[in-house]
Amino acid sequence: MTLSLGIATMLGGFLFPFVIRMAWGKMVDSWGPIGGWIAAAFIVGTVWCINHGIATPMITQSGAAWVDQGLAAGVGVWVASVLVGGNVRKSLPTISASVCGGILAGVILSLFL
Amino acid sequence: MKFFRSLAGYTIAGLLVMSVWDGLGAYGIFGGYLAAIIIIGPLWFMNHYVNLTGNEDANGFVDMGLAIGVAGLMRDTLMKGTDALVGSIPTISLVILGAVLGGIVAAAFEKSMAKEAERDANAPEPGMTEKELSRLVSEE
Repeated sequence: MTLSLGIATMLGGFLFPFVIRMAWGKMVDSWGPIGGWIAAAFIVGTVWCINHGIATPMITQSGAAWVDQGLAAGVGVWVASVLVGGNVRKSLPTISASVCGGILAGVILSLFL
Repeated sequence: MKFFRSLAGYTIAGLLVMSVWDGLGAYGIFGGYLAAIIIIGPLWFMNHYVNLTGNEDANGFVDMGLAIGVAGLMRDTLMKGTDALVGSIPTISLVILGAVLGGIVAAAFEKSMAKEAERDANAPEPGMTEKELSRLVSEE
């Protein structure tokens, strides 16, 4: 990976949680649950285009194991929520459930894909 | 019980995104949008709006994206070997670094916006201009 691609990859990781924190909650506040669907389409969908979808995506995959922008969302949204006052210790069980869930999903997928 | 509740929600998220999205992603940008609507829409509703994953407002928020990211890495590690995971370490580190920076900047901007909203809410009458508000504040 060249320096340019590395910087782009880092900024791709920056972009996704940033847009989620800035807009997702407000869309749900403004439009109710349907706001979450609009956010799913136009935040996840549009940011996916630049990070993964276009021919030379912002997140360069250096290896064969797929690094999804979801990882950036998980990390970045947690960091932001902690900085505005979220409790770290009480979120640890949820983090472990999330990581275990990801591992379990990976194991199940490897059974049939 | 709550752990298994969360586990179920996060597992289903990882399972669906890392299989169906790849199928739809083959149709390019529009496949990606369709995938975002039909996968992320209902999964967000189940995991975060209905709150199957059990995040509480006072705690750090664990987005289902974390499970999705781990699921992608785990799937390819099991199917292509640990070399695949080792090769992806540069991307993983850069993405996490960028995400941490994104979280820090987003939190700082949220605080700044909250301060402005508070200032506007405390205005003696609605519809005052910024200039009038600033003058009032400086007089106090």
